[in-house]
Amino acid sequence: MNLRVVAANLLVKLMSVYREKTAMFFTLAFPIILILVFGTIFMSQDNVEYHLCVQDLDQTNLSAQSVKTLELDGKFKITKVDPALNAAQYVRDNKVNLVLVIPKGYERSILQRAMLSNPNASVTITYIYDPSSSSAPTKMQILDAVFAGINQKMSGSPPVIKSAEKSILTKKYRFIEFFIPGIIAMAVMTLSLFGTVNLNTELRQKGIIRKLSTTPITRTDWILSDILYQFILAVISTSAMLLVSYAVFDVSLHIDAWLLAFILLDVFAFVGIGMILTRFAREAQSAAAAANAISFPMMFLSGSFFPIELMPGFLQTIAKILPLYYINEGLRASMVFEDNMAALRCSAIIGVFAAVVFILGIITTKWEEGR
Amino acid sequence: MTKATEYVIEVDKLTKRYGDLLAVDDVSFTVSKGEVFALLGPNGAGKTTTVEIIDTIRTPTSGKVILLGMDVTKNKHDIVHRIGVLPQGFSSFDRIRVRETLQYYSRLFCCRNTDIDGLIELVNLKDKAKEQYKNLSGGLKQRLGIAIALVNDPEVVFLDEPTTGLDPSARREVWEVLQGLKKKGKTVILTTHYMEEAELLADTVAIISNGKIIAMDSPGELIKNNTNYLVLTLQSGDDKVFEIVRKLGFGPVLNTQKDIRVRVEHTDDVLKILNALRDAGALYLGLDVRKPNLEEVFLKLTGEALLVGPFGVRGAA
Repeated sequence: MNLRVVAANLLVKLMSVYREKTAMFFTLAFPIILILVFGTIFMSQDNVEYHLCVQDLDQTNLSAQSVKTLELDGKFKITKVDPALNAAQYVRDNKVNLVLVIPKGYERSILQRAMLSNPNASVTITYIYDPSSSSAPTKMQILDAVFAGINQKMSGSPPVIKSAEKSILTKKYRFIEFFIPGIIAMAVMTLSLFGTVNLNTELRQKGIIRKLSTTPITRTDWILSDILYQFILAVISTSAMLLVSYAVFDVSLHIDAWLLAFILLDVFAFVGIGMILTRFAREAQSAAAAANAISFPMMFLSGSFFPIELMPGFLQTIAKILPLYYINEGLRASMVFEDNMAALRCSAIIGVFAAVVFILGIITTKWEEGR
Repeated sequence: MTKATEYVIEVDKLTKRYGDLLAVDDVSFTVSKGEVFALLGPNGAGKTTTVEIIDTIRTPTSGKVILLGMDVTKNKHDIVHRIGVLPQGFSSFDRIRVRETLQYYSRLFCCRNTDIDGLIELVNLKDKAKEQYKNLSGGLKQRLGIAIALVNDPEVVFLDEPTTGLDPSARREVWEVLQGLKKKGKTVILTTHYMEEAELLADTVAIISNGKIIAMDSPGELIKNNTNYLVLTLQSGDDKVFEIVRKLGFGPVLNTQKDIRVRVEHTDDVLKILNALRDAGALYLGLDVRKPNLEEVFLKLTGEALLVGPFGVRGAA
């Protein structure tokens, strides 16, 4: 290995990308757009408010108070439906997915029960809903929980089973804070894999690799300069993502040397894979297609966007053999959970993988042109 | 002096096979120090494969190549420091400027004393030193490629089709640069399918066809040994001219629509043709009589034209 040669290569690559500002802009913009889009979605989910239509057929003080209680719970924005209308027709005509119907005799039944004049008195509220809507079941679940609470209070005895929430984290984190390490891992993978594949197939097709094969540069010099180049881009990209995350979403993440270590391992692993792909898929289009075939399943299976627990069991097993899974887990361990042991375990696994891929990349990279 | 150092390059029974295709077929030759050696042949003849094996880009199927006293298959690392290569279809980094490109290649060779300004001047790119590669014309790109091939002050320079695809004036500019190399005493291996290029620049020309060297000598000797006739060219002759010459039994007769070229044994034949044309009232704009060139040598040796000109070739015998 010759550091002067590595530095010369690195300089040429950095000058090229610096002078190609449009490509640079879109490279940085892609993960930032993802963060802005998903961040906005997750932020609104943290304070989600459903629209609920209520038809009060009872028109009494108690029924009005119950509607008020639902509104004050904060989960619902209430729209009142005229008691004279047909609720099912209202659902169809107004494209709403659920109407809660409070029946006539609601107040009477509750008072009878409360004053023990009729211990068997009960009242049935009705959910008139559109089964094709995905949010109607969620609304019904929330309403069931609210009414269960009211029933329990009216029974006059304290609950037998209580529940208490206790987070394993000292701070309360929002979903966006779990999401950002995944996006960093995914963005660095994309940058390194596609950057390597695109650059190397372009240089091969233009004949620059053939020219380089007549100079003293070695395959190790070449791949190392590529890794350093992709690492610098990855650090710039990660800094931009973190700046946007802090500025727009006011995230709270722990940043230390582990972040740099995982970015470097991410780059090592995927530059290596990119080198191997370039060797076997020589045309730019087939190499890009191969990179897509590797990166897309990895992106969705390894927990970058959502927890792998949501996936079927066999996919969870597959996820655990993917390198990106360990980068995601390692970054979350260091940035969210501040768990050095977990970060160390993940870094060891991805480190071994990166070393193997790097060596394979060196072995498979060939200067000699086939025919 | 040992045999290995008598020649800068010794190629012995070199063969390269790609599956069923025999690209280079038992080729042997030697190149002396300071010699400009040209491999002349049409596209697909095996020129580039031969040169790329010698300059370490490819590996041979069989045979031996000794370059600067070293086996090219075993000493690549030592060899690359002592050679300069302009590969076929040379290209460089689009957004890197001329001077920066030369500095980059100089760093790859770890040369601390490369005279970048001298190289820029040698290839006449002083006005373009700050221009990015992508903004250079084809001829300027080739001249930069030649300068890159010289950054490590090589003992042997390989130039693979340095003027292919260039217009005549750009080609002439590259030739001037190559003549400069010749004056500097560099050993140059040149591949080309332009016979004027080989004739103008080379000390030795090897004519290669279907992977085999079919003749090798200085351009003058090749012409002298393979031709004992003169070439009469009738410029812008009509079809009547072509017919009359053919009926008189002269050949091969080449008709490129613009000119009709005829082989004649001696000057009496010229008079015979001209008289016949005058008697028939055939029209032509002008004429010249000259000694044959390498194209005619190639035509004689292979039975096919080296280059199909812009108007095609008709009537080759």
